Formats: sequence, structure tokens, C-alpha cells
Amino acid sequence: MIDFNVYKPKKNEVYAYKCPECGTLDYPAPMICRKCGARRDPSGVYFSSWEKIPLKGKCKLLTWSRVYALPEGFLEKYLIFGIVEFENGLRASGRLLVDKPQIGMNLVAKVGLVREKVDEDVLGFMFDKED
Amino acid sequence: MIVNKMEKRLRPPQINLKTYIPKVIMLANGEKMVVRETKREETSVLLETIFPLIEVQKDFYDIVAARMYAEILGWYRYRVANEFVLVGAIDGVIVGIVNSRIIDEDVGISLHTMTIKRGLRIGAQLFASKMENHFNMLGQKEVLIVAESPIGFRRWMIEYGLENREDEYPKVQHELGGVPTHVLTKSLYDIICDQKVGGQRPVDSEILATADILKAPEEYEQIPGFERSKQ
Amino acid sequence: MRKVYIVGIGHTNFGNLSELDLDLVDIMAFASTEAMDDAGIRKNRKIVDQVIVANMGGGIINHQTGIASSLVSRLDLEPAMAELIENGPASGASAIKMGFACIASGMVDVVMVTGGELMRTVSGWEGTDFISTLLHPEAEYNYGLTLPAFGGMFTRLYMERYGLTDRELAMVAVKNHENATKNPYAHVITPCTLEAIFDNPDVDTVNPYIAEPVRLYSTCPVSDGAASVIMCAMDSPKMGYFKKKEPIVISGVGSATDTHCVHQREDPLRLKAVQLSAERAYKMAGLSAKDISFAELHDAFLVLELAISEEIGFFKIGASKEAVVKGVTRINGSLPINTSGGLKAKGHPVGATGVSQVYELVKQLRGEAEKGRQVKNPKHGMAVNFGGFGNNVVTTICSKECKK
Repeated sequence: MIDFNVYKPKKNEVYAYKCPECGTLDYPAPMICRKCGARRDPSGVYFSSWEKIPLKGKCKLLTWSRVYALPEGFLEKYLIFGIVEFENGLRASGRLLVDKPQIGMNLVAKVGLVREKVDEDVLGFMFDKED
Repeated sequence: MIVNKMEKRLRPPQINLKTYIPKVIMLANGEKMVVRETKREETSVLLETIFPLIEVQKDFYDIVAARMYAEILGWYRYRVANEFVLVGAIDGVIVGIVNSRIIDEDVGISLHTMTIKRGLRIGAQLFASKMENHFNMLGQKEVLIVAESPIGFRRWMIEYGLENREDEYPKVQHELGGVPTHVLTKSLYDIICDQKVGGQRPVDSEILATADILKAPEEYEQIPGFERSKQ
Repeated sequence: MRKVYIVGIGHTNFGNLSELDLDLVDIMAFASTEAMDDAGIRKNRKIVDQVIVANMGGGIINHQTGIASSLVSRLDLEPAMAELIENGPASGASAIKMGFACIASGMVDVVMVTGGELMRTVSGWEGTDFISTLLHPEAEYNYGLTLPAFGGMFTRLYMERYGLTDRELAMVAVKNHENATKNPYAHVITPCTLEAIFDNPDVDTVNPYIAEPVRLYSTCPVSDGAASVIMCAMDSPKMGYFKKKEPIVISGVGSATDTHCVHQREDPLRLKAVQLSAERAYKMAGLSAKDISFAELHDAFLVLELAISEEIGFFKIGASKEAVVKGVTRINGSLPINTSGGLKAKGHPVGATGVSQVYELVKQLRGEAEKGRQVKNPKHGMAVNFGGFGNNVVTTICSKECKK
């Protein structure tokens, strides 16, 4: 059977993974569930491949930094990064699009191009002010 | 002095340049560095300071020192047009030299930046002071910039956000070797000057007086075993 | 477990060694031969049973693998056993831990541990990228996040929660730089003054931000260098070779891990791996925080010197800055920290740091530190080597031999 979904354009999402046995969400994808120990098999052959839940929506800023010393390949003068906490309790690191961040501020998680690698566009979190 | 006709023809026409206003910066180790412009009469101590570094064959010291020596000697002998030289001095001892040239009222060319006392970001402070002179004191619109050292160049390219005019080559060339150039414009300068240009004015008269008579360094960490008195 | 002594120590200059005609293994060999001379076994070097090498960037930066085997040949130590340990910036202490375990288990008698790094051969941007490979590839590295970025975020949160000020951080920098001026191996020997890096109206150009609120003088430099220690079992007949210097006991070793992704930590300000590794080391040594005379704490970002000192029990959580202000952690204080200058001023060749910290412990305990930076009558010294951003930490406690 051909899975025609493979030919669809990739959705701009970052996924949390849901354990099929206890339903706990985790990000990034583990190989063993932190709560119940269930195994994950990305191929879905030996164990079930876990359900992917897009991680998005409202989040709160826990801490941030404006970083001037960037790695090779980045030509910006600086980038702002932050760690946020989503309403479902999961946390993530990502780019902050806010000029004057403040700890505790409410943000919304978008997904965009964070890095260009050879033959690959890397998508990731971009946290912005709520509209 | 009345200059003879031949000599007059050999000298380039000169624009009357406003003098840089001296400032003082406290470096990380607590020492105070005075940044001021030098006069033609101080050429001797400048050349004396630069010369030994021509023999340091690493970190691009040899080429920067050789070129800067030629530029300052050329300025002294009236064979380079519209050059200015700024020095950083701690207690009168020269710790860094930068120089530039003016093409016309609007356009300048950054020549060289030489750090003699390392580890205190003196090169970065003096480069910024050079740009301050071009834009704030001399009222220019843009400065052409290249570099010999790849690290230094990328640092300026990224940190100052220079405009890339490499595709205008060969029509627009930087006179340091005739290479493709980048440009710092007034508007780009205005964006970064608060972040890059340091220094306090006016300089306390006692501190300024320490830099009245410039001295060449007694030793160079780049030249182990060098002793000025034995030269 | 058998008791293990450190019988020889060696160190190279830390700084820019990339322009010399030496490669990574040469630099490690230099430190190793220094240690052999210190132990007095250069002619009898073949008594070394096992060589353990600590290095992080050999494969990525220096394009070399099988480094431990390479070092053995460079030192003419064949047929000693040899392996490489890579544990990020904690490689050094991990290598010492493994050497200790080899001896304590009875498998070998004499181990040489050498840590080294030659990371200035690449540009600062590539170096930053190399260190960032410690982070989670998808959730952290891909964003261009770096260790300084996490250092900045941690410092901001710490300042917010405990009221740490820029000025107090600057005081730690001044202390470490002052200590380094007396350390002949240190990378940065120019001292800095509080006025210049904090009170200065030109502070933004003299001490610019690297990753707000971390400034240039709150983060360690990029360094090349190597350090080496030689260890021997107390009950081994080979101790007969080591009569030159006072042997120092490795009394406790412990390590622990924490989540890889910084965002997965329950409390992003708690360094549980530090606390647990210290607990395990204290337990093995039969000691507690109040027994420690001085310490080398991994201050890659200055705030870590404070946070680590709290997690290992020297001060209450959030209260270490008061000790800094009172001068408790200075060389002549009651609990000197980073007498070598710390990573901030001594330098941080990542693979060498863990071994360099233990080098300092031994030097102080032997009473051999340079004038002006010798701790008075030290009995026990502690080194905490921090890997990744706190997800793998190794603690080593060394003690003067108890005279019965």
C-alpha cells in the first residue's frame, strides 16, 4: 500500500510523543517512557510507534538570554533564546522573537526555520508575543 | 618652509582635517588608556614602535607592521594623502596604533589596526575610535574596510554589520592590495556606536599630560627577549 | 577497595599552543613527561601498567582518533594498556575516576592519566559549534543554542531568584584572576579590577555581553593545554619507585548524571548531578562538606562556582554570594575556592581541566603551591568537574596522608 501522505508538504510542527500505554507526553522523543517504562520503536515493527502530538499554543517564559557568541554558520549579530513551559507541563528551548523578554511573560509557540543545514531546512520553535 | 617646485608636484593635495578629541578608557586591568591623534613630529617614536614587529612572522604581525610602517613613513614624507594616526597610550607608552586615510569629504579608507599590548581588547577599542573619528569628528558618510587577518575581518563584518561591496570589484577596490571591500556607512555606524565606542571625555589634564610625550614600549610580549635599550 | 595514591603530577602552560610545531598528542606527552619527572620515573617509565587519556575534541577538531594508543607510542610506553575517556568537559575527572577504579579493583598497580585539548586551531565560531555538540541534537543544538546561551539563561534565573548582582559576579572574576597571576601555567595572567569590569562607564566595551547577562569576564577563555597525574596502589611493591614526593591519597570519587535537555530538569536552577556526585564522593571518603579545606570548582561560567559550592554543601542554596562578599573564598579566607585561578583565569582546555583541577589539589596538599597562593595547612581538597550543562558531573576528593 502506498502512503500518499508522504508526498504532502511537511507541516510546520514540532512534536511531543505520547506513550501508548500510559498516555504521558514527552519532548523530545524518548526511547523509554519516563512514567511506565514502555518502549518506543520508531519503525513500528517490534513495538508500537508512538503517536505524535503537535506541541504548540500558549506557554510561559521561564528564562532567556541574548546570545552574541553564536556558532559557525550564523551570521546574525545576536539571537535571543529562551526556555518556556507549555500549559500541559512540557517545556522546550527555542528562539525568542520578542525584543524585550521578561521572565514569566506569556508567549505563543510558532514553528519556523531555525537553521539551514545542507539539503535540510531545520524547523523549530519560535516563541512570540500573544497577538 | 618654502617648498621647491619639484617637491610641490610630488606631494599630494591635502584636506585640512579636524583633530580627534582625546578620550580615556579604563581597561579591564584597571589601567587607563588615553586615545589621541598623533602629529607628524611624533613619527620617530611611531616608527620605532612598529619596526620590531616586522620580524614577528605570525598572527599577521609582519604584514601589518610592514604596511603600517610604510604608511606612516609615507605620511611623514608627504607621499600619502590625508592620513591620520591614532594611538592608545598607557602612562605615555604606546600600546596600540590605528591609521586611516581620507579620499574626500565623504569617503574614508581604514588602513590598519595594530595591537601591541595584548589581552585587553585594545585593538577593538582603537578600531572603534578610528570609526568615531571618521563619522563624528570628520563628518564622513562611509568608510571602506578590509583586513589581512581572517578572524579580525569576520569579527568586524559580523559585529559591525558591514555592507558588502565585494560585487562592485574591480570598479571599487580597497587600496590595501586592491582587494574587494566592505563598507561601514554612517547609518550602520549609528546603530552600533553605543555598543562599540567607549571612552570618557574630557580627559583629566593630569592623565592627558602623561600622554604628552609618547614612548616606545620597552618590551614586546610578541618578541620574547626584546630589550629596547639594547637596540 | 585498595587505597590509591597520586605520586606524580605534570602540567603544560594553558593558552594558545596552536601556533607551535606541536600536535595534540605532543602536548599531552609534554604534560605526561613532566609528571614522570615529578614522580622520578622517567628512566623506569615502563612500570606504568595503564594509560588513560581524557580528550573531547580530538576527533572533531584535530581529526585524530585512537589518541590513547598514539600517546603511548609518543612516550615510548609500549606495551602499557591504553584507552580514551570522553565525557565532554568532565573527561579529565572521569579519566581519573576510571584510573582509580582500575587500581582499586586490583587489576593494575600504576596508572597514568593525561588530559589534553588543542582547540584553538579552529576559529572561535567553530570552537563554539564544537562545544555545542554536547547539547541535544534536535531540541537544542539545531537552534544554534550554545553552552554560553545556557550559561546566560541559568545566570539570569539565578539572579532573579536569589538576587545575585553583576557586582558580586565581578568580585568572583577579580578573585580568580588575582589567584592566576601567581600561577605560572595560567592562560590569563592579567588581573582585572572591580572598578574596570563593573563600575566602569565604558563597561559595555571593556566587558561586553557574551550571552546576557553573562559578560566577557564571567565566562572562561578558550584554551589549549594538558595535565597529567600518575597514580599507584598503596600496597603495591612499585611504590618503591616513588620516593621523590609526598604521596597524596584519593580519598573519594563520585559521579552522577542529570537530564540531557536542560529544559527537562524539574527545577532548572538545581544541579542534582553535582549534589549527588559530591554525596557519593563524601561517602567514599567518610567526610562531609565541613571537612574540606579548599576546592577547585568548575567555573566555566562564574555563576557555576557559586551554584556548585551550594550544591556540594559549602553554603546554603542561594547564599554563596554572601561568602564571596565577605572574602571567605579568597586564598586567605576560611574556604578558598579556585586557588589556581579556576577555569576563568587558568583556562579551560576541555579535556585537560578535570586533571588540572586534581593537579592543583595535589600541589596545595603537598604544600608546593607558588608563594602567595598556598592554602594554609590544607587537609582535604575537593574538585568538581562539570560535563555538558550539568548533566554529567564528577567529584574527586584528595587528602593528605593521615600520620598515625
